[in-house]
Amino acid sequence: MTNEIRLNAFVGMSPVHLSPGLWAHPRNRALNYKDLTYWTDLAVLLERGKFDTLFIADSLGVYDVYGANAHAAIRAGAQLPKHDPLMLVSAMAHVTEHLGFAISASTSHEIPAVLARRFSSLDHLTAGRIGWNVVTGFSESGAKAVGRDGVIPHDARYDRAEEFLGITYKLWEQSWQAGSLIRDPASGIFADPTKVHRVQHEGPFFQLETIHLTEPSPQRTPFLLQAGASPRGRRFAAAHAEAVLVGGPTQAAVAARVRDIREQAVRLGRKANDIAIFALATAIVGRSRAEAQAKHADYLAYVDPEGAVALFSGWTGIDFSGFELDAKLPRDLRDNAVQSILQSFTSADPTREWTLREVIEHNAIGGEGPLLVGTAAEVADELQNWVVETGIDGFNLSYAVIPETFTDFVDLVIPELQRRGAYKADYRPGTLRAKFQGSDALKPSHPGAATRPVALTRH
Amino acid sequence: MPKEIRVNAFALQSPVHHSPGLWRHPEDRSLDYTKLAYWTDLAKILERGKFDALFIADSMAANDVFGGSYHAALAVGAQIPKLDPIVSVSAMAFVTEHLGFGITSNALYEPPFPFARRMSTLDHLTKGRIGWNIVTGHTVSGARAVGQTLTPHDQRYDMADEYLDAVYALWEASWEDDAVQRNSARHIFADPNKVHKIIHRGTHFQFEGLHLAEPSPQRTPVLFQAGASTRGRAFAARHAECIFVSGPTPQVIAPVVSDTRRRAAALGRDPKDLLFFSMATVIVGATAAEAAAKLQDYRRYINPQAALILFSGWTGIDFSKFDLDAPIQFDGRSDGLISALESFSIADPNRVWTVRELAEHNAIGGRGPVFVGDPGQVADQITAWVNATDVDGLNLSYAITPAGFEDFGKYVVPELQRRGRFKHEYAPGTLRQKLYGAERGRLQDNHPAAARRFAKTCSQADDLSEHR
Repeated sequence: MTNEIRLNAFVGMSPVHLSPGLWAHPRNRALNYKDLTYWTDLAVLLERGKFDTLFIADSLGVYDVYGANAHAAIRAGAQLPKHDPLMLVSAMAHVTEHLGFAISASTSHEIPAVLARRFSSLDHLTAGRIGWNVVTGFSESGAKAVGRDGVIPHDARYDRAEEFLGITYKLWEQSWQAGSLIRDPASGIFADPTKVHRVQHEGPFFQLETIHLTEPSPQRTPFLLQAGASPRGRRFAAAHAEAVLVGGPTQAAVAARVRDIREQAVRLGRKANDIAIFALATAIVGRSRAEAQAKHADYLAYVDPEGAVALFSGWTGIDFSGFELDAKLPRDLRDNAVQSILQSFTSADPTREWTLREVIEHNAIGGEGPLLVGTAAEVADELQNWVVETGIDGFNLSYAVIPETFTDFVDLVIPELQRRGAYKADYRPGTLRAKFQGSDALKPSHPGAATRPVALTRH
Repeated sequence: MPKEIRVNAFALQSPVHHSPGLWRHPEDRSLDYTKLAYWTDLAKILERGKFDALFIADSMAANDVFGGSYHAALAVGAQIPKLDPIVSVSAMAFVTEHLGFGITSNALYEPPFPFARRMSTLDHLTKGRIGWNIVTGHTVSGARAVGQTLTPHDQRYDMADEYLDAVYALWEASWEDDAVQRNSARHIFADPNKVHKIIHRGTHFQFEGLHLAEPSPQRTPVLFQAGASTRGRAFAARHAECIFVSGPTPQVIAPVVSDTRRRAAALGRDPKDLLFFSMATVIVGATAAEAAAKLQDYRRYINPQAALILFSGWTGIDFSKFDLDAPIQFDGRSDGLISALESFSIADPNRVWTVRELAEHNAIGGRGPVFVGDPGQVADQITAWVNATDVDGLNLSYAITPAGFEDFGKYVVPELQRRGRFKHEYAPGTLRQKLYGAERGRLQDNHPAAARRFAKTCSQADDLSEHR
């Protein structure tokens, strides 16, 4: 284990990601989220800061739980509109050399062979810098958008995700054997068809029969990220994820999840540190503490509480429009959406009870993660303290004002962390997986690699 | 005044598109198709040549018709493997300002709701330069890859009709023009009363939701289509703005063009609003001798059997079973690309093709003609073809890439410009405005997409309007 802190920048392709209202801040470029140069500029900035990845959340759902309609979300621009982040990647790859791209896509909404080819295409175009954040889709609205009557129940979503991943592993890892590409001008042979195998699958959720339509890409399987923090989600992450995102307002809430994921991974034959774990956090940093605090106060003037509670209602599936602001949230509150987010504010930390007002105030800048305000040294202290206390590998950094929050972090905190030997002086060469794990290929202990290479079926 | 000739570049993200074997040519960069720089370089070359658009074909098919297996196609890289072209667009948009992008996506394979969002995203990122080539998938292998069985030919178009009505509603009706307020003083990003849920309950597709993208420059992308069968023409006449046609002789193309224009007129559209792009390959040099030498050089690398493999894939008919010198006959039974088969059988009554002739013809540039000569000769052939067929331009294929496109920009474009048949500068605005004029940013009122617009179908009083 090293004490190097890993960093992703955490965004959505929306005017608001986790800081509703802040788009109105005069220095915020968030309203340009639909424009190409907003993203290419951001990618260049993040590569200057040697961020590991730009992590773009996505879903097909809208936040229509609060008040039983989407009005609050539409008015606030709270993750609505939400454009398709996969479309951004090639342009950002064009202006960078090392930055990874972790993009969300749902196993409840996508078609396995189509998704597999799209990610393989991006793995080629990015020279191995693509990651897939495997999501299962928690919202009723997202399910209805793809023609379902309602959301697939929580645990069944993960069963479907297991089957989906099993198919895509076969396409990525097994369809094209090593040595199948010939590319020989003399003979005119492009590939050896006896080494390219058709994947046949008949399962409860999916059936297909096809070879993988793309030739093997630098990583084959994209670097796999996952954010499920419910018990079933953690089991899924422990089995498949190479990086996991956790969120929680307190170290106690996060530490328990980190410990559980690592223990489960070990039980599955993986190493505890095969999984890089990132905790959601937001940093507001200044050249002095007073400057940071003034910045924070300035940002707070733009916070949109209704937007924040609309997001929280969506994540939890609970319409908080009828809740008393100052009553403690019941510890046994349950739902069918992102179970972990609700638990963060109910059962995950036995030492802390939350009222709805406190949750809204906490979540209004940067969502459920901690908000760190101070000088570069103070923020670096906090980050290092979080790493020690929770066992995480790094942070999924959210923002208040974009790109300002990231610019400040790159200019002030990164040099401080580097001085402390807690941050890489330069990128490692190679693919995203190689930068994390030293190899382009899935580790042998990973389920995607377990049966490779094998002749699957008749040709 | 003779009409301007438009030119799209025709490509596939594969080692082979329509000239199998040519990837072996030392100047050919086809094998770089997996590299981003190949595509950004190509986009810049095309914009320098003032091409209207880069048109990228695609399918989920692993061509397994010839010999009953994908082995033959895969061995020579004949349109497998291939990348998904849609993810390369933003990089090419970043390095260009005017070039349009016509990207193929299958209306039967991907659900309408996420697809509509994807195109809107690209329309924003390209500032209105995205087009969609609507395909319905004619192969068994493609259908199986997405867990389906092959839908019969005409029914595919029925499904696509419904799909289009569904995505039109998302693009045209979900967000009113003034829905997005961006009012920072009052913290109003958008007015919820002007954003409407689309409920589609059709025979083939169902969904319910707000369009997730705010209105993009074109709203509905420029609509490309390539259906040349009878049912395909009916579909194109209703929906398409740009139509891709292919055939070896003007006699094959002209009736398709005139019939489709006539059908469009019968549906109330201006037949001139349909822009036809005819597939062609140009081999041009500074002199006729230089061009002839290039052709001779290229033909050293052709693979006629691979051309038959491709043709088998398009038609669904295994040409490995036929005598090379047998005439091609069409008995009307195919669930494949009917028009491809017609081109070499019944479409031109003056011409009987043998399998061998077909293979030799298609070895460079596929089903389209190959124009060879010095710039003047090629310009003559192009204008003669345009005059004989009433097409609006070419879908330009290549023998070798990107040299085929560079040569066209270097030699043919200036010659056509001298003749007043090619633009000197791009027109401003979106792809649709470049094609139809500054005042034509949106689809015309006589286009079916316009019928889905909010004002025509919804009552202001409705909070969430339903579109059925």
